[in-house]
Amino acid sequence: MLGIATSVLSAAAFNFFFLPPVGTFRIAATSDWVALGAFLVVAVATSSVSELARRRAVEAQNRRAEADLTAAMAQLLLARAGVEDALALIGRHLAVTLGLPWASISLGDMEGDPRRHVIALNSDHRRVGTLVVPAHLPADVLSRLRERVVPALSVVVQVALEREQLVAETVETEGLRRSEAIKTAVLRAVSHDLRSPVTAMVAAGAAVRAPEVTRVERDELGRLVVEEGTRLARLINDLLDLSKIEAETAAPRLAECSLEEVIDAALAAQPRDARFRVRIDPNLTLVGADFVQVERALANLLENATRYSDGEPVTIRARPVGDRAIIRVIDRGPGVSEAERERIFEPFYRSAGQAVDAHAGSGLGLAIAKGFVETNGGRIWVESNPGQGSTFVVELRVTGTTR
Amino acid sequence: MTSGFGPNGRRILAVDDEPQILRALKLVLRSAGYEVVTAANSEEALDVAAVGPVDAAIVDLLLPDIDGIELAQRLREWTSMPIIVLSAVGEEEKKVRALRSGADDYVTKPFGPAELVARLEAALRRTSPEPEESRVVAGGLEVDLAEHLVWRDGEEIHLTPTEFELLRLFVRHRGRLLTHHALLTQVWGSEYADDVTVLRGQIANLRRKLENEAGPRRHYVRTEPGVGYRFDPK
Repeated sequence: MLGIATSVLSAAAFNFFFLPPVGTFRIAATSDWVALGAFLVVAVATSSVSELARRRAVEAQNRRAEADLTAAMAQLLLARAGVEDALALIGRHLAVTLGLPWASISLGDMEGDPRRHVIALNSDHRRVGTLVVPAHLPADVLSRLRERVVPALSVVVQVALEREQLVAETVETEGLRRSEAIKTAVLRAVSHDLRSPVTAMVAAGAAVRAPEVTRVERDELGRLVVEEGTRLARLINDLLDLSKIEAETAAPRLAECSLEEVIDAALAAQPRDARFRVRIDPNLTLVGADFVQVERALANLLENATRYSDGEPVTIRARPVGDRAIIRVIDRGPGVSEAERERIFEPFYRSAGQAVDAHAGSGLGLAIAKGFVETNGGRIWVESNPGQGSTFVVELRVTGTTR
Repeated sequence: MTSGFGPNGRRILAVDDEPQILRALKLVLRSAGYEVVTAANSEEALDVAAVGPVDAAIVDLLLPDIDGIELAQRLREWTSMPIIVLSAVGEEEKKVRALRSGADDYVTKPFGPAELVARLEAALRRTSPEPEESRVVAGGLEVDLAEHLVWRDGEEIHLTPTEFELLRLFVRHRGRLLTHHALLTQVWGSEYADDVTVLRGQIANLRRKLENEAGPRRHYVRTEPGVGYRFDPK
């Protein structure tokens, strides 16, 4: 329209200034009519072509913006951990690109209202979500949204949803596989570690009633029942602790604890003949942790270290490093090879060639230690060189309160 | 239910819904010279305690009707007899609640007879205090309560007045669980009843002085997580 008006105006100006009689809109010669006509036709044609070119350019720009938008949407949805977070970002991105006051995308079905206009996002004939924009948008913006943005958005949302489901399934399968492995290990333990103390207790209990048993033998049998029963109780407690850790129901009761007291309690739980060297840095402040859980973790580490140190004293050191407390349990045992440094924290893991004898632990001590340290927001690892002993390191957060 | 008195004249109420545990408790307590009455649930326990004189109660935390925590509370409404709860590993929170509800002490299952009897005897000492001793010897430690002097293996140890007051409470209540609250109110006064940090600092100092760092480590003062301390020279 503007092009034609400009052309007519130019023709009129041409007539006024150049065609005799100059200064009027009248035309004297017939040939001048032809010239004016030709001028008008050329002007209209030129302006139409340039108008078309301009429109094409805008359209191309829009397409590019839409393509960029689609790419950005795909990138946001596939990179973010949660679909909902990504959708919030995409909404903002979309509003900026299209010059809207706001736009939001939700996964559910939504109703429009006087202030909001909703556009369904369908993919594969299935509703995957809703695009919500302000009501009363210009018709061209709306049709652009419908035709150019919504199809791409729908596909991207569907892919993201499918991907999220796949990830969830993978995590679940991984968890199932792990708990399956633990179940197998528990079953193996039940068949051996639980059964053997029961066998010993039943046999000893029956034997003690025989009339010909001497006093010494009776004492011996009684001690056997107590030892085996204690071992069984220990294993049951360990299995309970481990199942709580695995089921993530071992919620720590966080309080300010003095590591000196925690270490003391862990030491008190050790057999009387075990020897320890304790060094606690006086600058160590309190840690925020569950006293009982950390105590059990440390007691398990001490017990493990004692088992491998062949009568040599085990060293415990605790000192502050920044906002962390570092506890080291150092033994002079055979050490742990690099390949085993992760695996020794697995339930029922036994290093190659390690005999399963009466003095062996339940095989759960280190797994429980790791579980309890981690539920309390700490870290645990082992530093070792075969033949040079092992150092188990526990790192916990300090609260900064002095003792 | 059994009646009559044992050789040492004390009657103990044992409450547990497991008949095997009751059987074991009866055997252990009788061979230690106590008379035993039993109850399989809280209602029965309240009846038995109300009918005959009972000197102490041993109560399982898990009971079929009212749990051990509430039973301790109900008993505390009218009796000051020692109450010891039986708790399993993993029941720490319940144990702490029972101790706050009036129970004196706890024994962790599975327990040895020596441990149970020692706890019971320590708890019974509260209700019938022995004549004031002025000199106490325990686990290589000698304490003169009148003169405020302490020796470990014959060597004198210097304590501050606060540390000595704590030690006095500990040796006078050997083997008994002393809660943070009890220690704080008795040494510092009731206005300091919640200041566990102060208590912890003083206990740490006391331990450092009592426990000879050079020799084998001795545990005189044991930490009872979330509850208090116990003086238990080994």
